[in-house]
Amino acid sequence: MKPRIEASLWGRDFGNPLMLASGTCGYGTELLEAGLLGDAAALVTKATTARPREGNAPPRIADTRFGLLNSIGLANPGAEQVVESLLPEMAFAPCAVIVNVAGETLEEYRRVVGILERSEVHVGYEINVSCPNVSAGGMAFGTDPACVAEITRLVRSSTGRPFSVKLTPNGGDIVEAAKMAEGEGADAVTVCNTFLGMKLDWRTGRPVLSRGAGGYSSPALLPLVTARVWQVASAVGIPVIASGGVWWGEDVLELRAAGASMVQLGTAVLRRPSRISEILLEMRTLLEGS
Amino acid sequence: MKDRDCRVESCSFECPGICRIGFSCPALVEEAGPGQFVMVEVSDGPLPAARRPFTLSSVSKSKGIFEIVFEVKGPGTSSLASSAPGRSCRVMGPLGRGYETSADRWLLVGGGLGAAGFPFLAASVRSARVLLGASCSDALVRTGGEAEYATEDGSAGRRGLVTDLLDGLDLASFDAIAVCGPTPMMKAVVEAVPDDLRPRVQVSLESRMGCGWGACGGCAIPASAGGYLKCCVDGPVVTAQAVDWSRMGGGLV
Repeated sequence: MKPRIEASLWGRDFGNPLMLASGTCGYGTELLEAGLLGDAAALVTKATTARPREGNAPPRIADTRFGLLNSIGLANPGAEQVVESLLPEMAFAPCAVIVNVAGETLEEYRRVVGILERSEVHVGYEINVSCPNVSAGGMAFGTDPACVAEITRLVRSSTGRPFSVKLTPNGGDIVEAAKMAEGEGADAVTVCNTFLGMKLDWRTGRPVLSRGAGGYSSPALLPLVTARVWQVASAVGIPVIASGGVWWGEDVLELRAAGASMVQLGTAVLRRPSRISEILLEMRTLLEGS
Repeated sequence: MKDRDCRVESCSFECPGICRIGFSCPALVEEAGPGQFVMVEVSDGPLPAARRPFTLSSVSKSKGIFEIVFEVKGPGTSSLASSAPGRSCRVMGPLGRGYETSADRWLLVGGGLGAAGFPFLAASVRSARVLLGASCSDALVRTGGEAEYATEDGSAGRRGLVTDLLDGLDLASFDAIAVCGPTPMMKAVVEAVPDDLRPRVQVSLESRMGCGWGACGGCAIPASAGGYLKCCVDGPVVTAQAVDWSRMGGGLV
């Protein structure tokens, strides 16, 4: 297929495939206020749970030579507050809003979606079965294909809106998990979440992050994500949303060539929010020259 | 969230391991208040992946220059410390909530590099008495003007801790007390302030940060009201009473 910039997801046409990854843009309010969402097709909010979550004890961040470790622990104000205060602020955002949903139990996913259904702001959901930074739920669900199937079935029965299931690269068979999600009615899969990583102080032998390990993000992840996108896109018929390792416009084009319908930006935008527009410009320049 | 390319005007070592950089950016300087910080991209390439936060150490509104002072610790700060004048760095800021400066008579208590932001604060208030502590003379961040010193090795000022300099001071004679330094030092200073004067204490907190603009939740500070504050948008300067000191660890959060 000829490389192009235009993209579509869930019957919506977008001028480009750029999405903002969950956890790297809050609920979008800061970027909206700064006028930086104009070039994004969609943003995925911070993971939202049924009740407010404080998140993990600090330290939650450790930068390493080749990438960033985080261990936020799904800190969020809870679904009620998200519906009442945060989503209304995004009602007139220039990009589509997708809410990321997490739970400690299978039942919690259904409860969260049930509460969020009261808002008209978001176009769909991203179901997080892959957070590496919590003790209950998170990636423990995502590594078990039967669990992925069950959560997908619960969410499917709770909403008519489209949703993507965000898969983990940390154990289990990601292709099998994607097939399960497709089989139970998911409208897309997101490939993938951060990779489990760790930094220690060799002098003391102690981990830098309070929970020990965390989620690793880095431009060096691009080949690992590309391979997984390729594998999953070859095995399922639903759209694949790529997430991980993107730093330049060329990376977006490469992930699309591997089969991704949409491509998420994360750490690159956390570091420099104007990268959304810069990456789009890089893509245009590359395609004009090709 | 203003993000601008700033030109490095000067880069020098105060003493071994402690670097001072002056950036030119009149627009940023015009908006900045004491206690606010900037997020600096320390390299042109993608790594290190995160920016580094630095408090605004001093500003010259007439020259449009602001300075940061930092310890060279890892690849990020090493890269920054090797900047030559003329280098352009992407700088986001001013960010966060700084000191509430309406009070007249200030006491500034700093430990080590915690005093980095004091020159800007001292220049912004009517009167400031400065107490500084550090491990040794080399590690003292000079704030300009009059200051009293305590060093653990006795190489400058009194031998001891900065809290020793509080002995005999009439703390009630100050309208505001600014505290910045390592967590154990800040804890000790806050504890040395009588309960009825605690509302006058403003602490400038330090944390590892992912973004600096409120999105990631990486810079959590234990809050006395339960849960966490975001150092980057709720702080970095907060009242001492807003912090749950019992949940603050010994190191960088």
